[in-house]
Amino acid sequence: MTAGISVIGLTKTYGDHTVLDDLHLTFAAGKIHGLLGANGTGKTTLMSLMSRHTFPTRGSVLLDDREFGEDPRQAQRLCFVRENQLYNDAFKVRDVLRIAPDFYPKWDAATTTRLVDRFRLPPATVVKKLSRGQRSALAIVLALGSRADFTFLDEPYLGLDPGARETFYEELIRSYGAQPRTIIMSTHLVDEAAPLLEEVVVLNQGRVALQAPLEEAEALALTLSGPTTSLDRWLQEHPDHPSLTRRTLGPTATVTTLGPLSDAESASASQAQLRVTSTSLQGLVAALGNSNHEVA
Amino acid sequence: MTHALRPLKLYLANRYYVLGVPLFIYAVVVVLSIAVVAIIGSMTGFPLSEEIREGTRNNAGVLFSAPGFLVSVGVFAATRNFALALALGATRRSFWAGTTLGFALTSLMTATAASVGLGLERLTGHWFIGAHVFDVHVFGDGDLAVLFVGVFVMAIACLAAGALFGTLFRAYGTVRTVLWGAAMGVVALGLLTLAAVNDERVLAWQDAWGEWLSVSVIAAVAAAFLAGSYAAVRRATI
Repeated sequence: MTAGISVIGLTKTYGDHTVLDDLHLTFAAGKIHGLLGANGTGKTTLMSLMSRHTFPTRGSVLLDDREFGEDPRQAQRLCFVRENQLYNDAFKVRDVLRIAPDFYPKWDAATTTRLVDRFRLPPATVVKKLSRGQRSALAIVLALGSRADFTFLDEPYLGLDPGARETFYEELIRSYGAQPRTIIMSTHLVDEAAPLLEEVVVLNQGRVALQAPLEEAEALALTLSGPTTSLDRWLQEHPDHPSLTRRTLGPTATVTTLGPLSDAESASASQAQLRVTSTSLQGLVAALGNSNHEVA
Repeated sequence: MTHALRPLKLYLANRYYVLGVPLFIYAVVVVLSIAVVAIIGSMTGFPLSEEIREGTRNNAGVLFSAPGFLVSVGVFAATRNFALALALGATRRSFWAGTTLGFALTSLMTATAASVGLGLERLTGHWFIGAHVFDVHVFGDGDLAVLFVGVFVMAIACLAAGALFGTLFRAYGTVRTVLWGAAMGVVALGLLTLAAVNDERVLAWQDAWGEWLSVSVIAAVAAAFLAGSYAAVRRATI
């Protein structure tokens, strides 16, 4: 198995605005990675930089420990069809589906045919006249059909109804099962997509807030609720569990914090009349997005 | 080379658009030219007087009808096709090489259409009524080589200009594209001024080279646009 994608000191600025700030990350090969975070945290920019659609201000990206520059053999290992992908105005769906296989040596015609059928994509329709959901479906067809070693999916479900999203998840697993490869998917439907993910990266304000295997990330997210004074005292005594978000309702408060708790910590929380519950990955992503805490 | 063929196929995905439309444009130019001459002839009588025939030899329809369309093909190739080519794992260099090959094919088709048109024009005694469309002064008065090469370089210059400005727009945005355009305009004006100042030498070249002088200048412009588009595409982003 190959090494994957290494991001080394990656910084991207537009004028005075820093979108990504000195990122160091590794996307291990052969896994499905979730790239999570609020809008504007740099997810799409990171994917653009990794696929050389744009250039970094500083830093570099390695594919299997090599800078790929203008090497066409390396470039054809990538597929990144954007959620707002531009197509030639004259292209029909069938034109795009006719051309795409030429770009990928491992093109999966059977999956393509099945997906076009399942998404009910109209081959004779001009791409620019497709609905939002149909454009997403076309991007999914290209991404899964490519069987590219490094496939990027940027919010691939936009405009898809729940049934079509289910189809996408099912086909993603099927395609990945047939040929494991590195898939990096950004999504806001975190809990819906979580069962597919093996690793998660959470970005916040252009920095890595968390990178962990899914199970570890899910174990991190906890909520503590109880009397405000008890809760505040407990948090003061346990600085390893910072308050990421806080809701106060009368004399009681709820905070999202980072777990897991040791047996002693659980016991002290119980003594303080605090209720400890696990929260979803979505809750953790939202909490990290609302704080400046970095777990990585 | 294999890698350049993929962007070439992308360019040729809609063959009617990139290869058929120039033919259609020239067909329309022929029909309109015949119609104009027919109207004039119906008023002055057939056969046309030598004065009117001389006037039709100044018909510049072939020169001015296709550039707008060709520039737009270049712009779309440099923007929309570029975005899809990169999405599908092409490099900037192979995209440029494949698209330039596509431009050469479109130009070849356009030049061939003009040459076939010239053949038909001669065969039919200038479309039966003395209308000149391809056998015109600006393309060497029926010189097949001048017409073929002239239309070819004109077409590739327009396609390359579209690609250059499309790529500049993608790489540098609106303001800097306008500035680049203005800078190129200044350079062009400078060269024209230089030619005007040295008019005797230019006229001597004109006498020696005939229409080939203009063809060579357009070829040089096309080469400059292609080189510029290559430099720009290396920095273009999505």
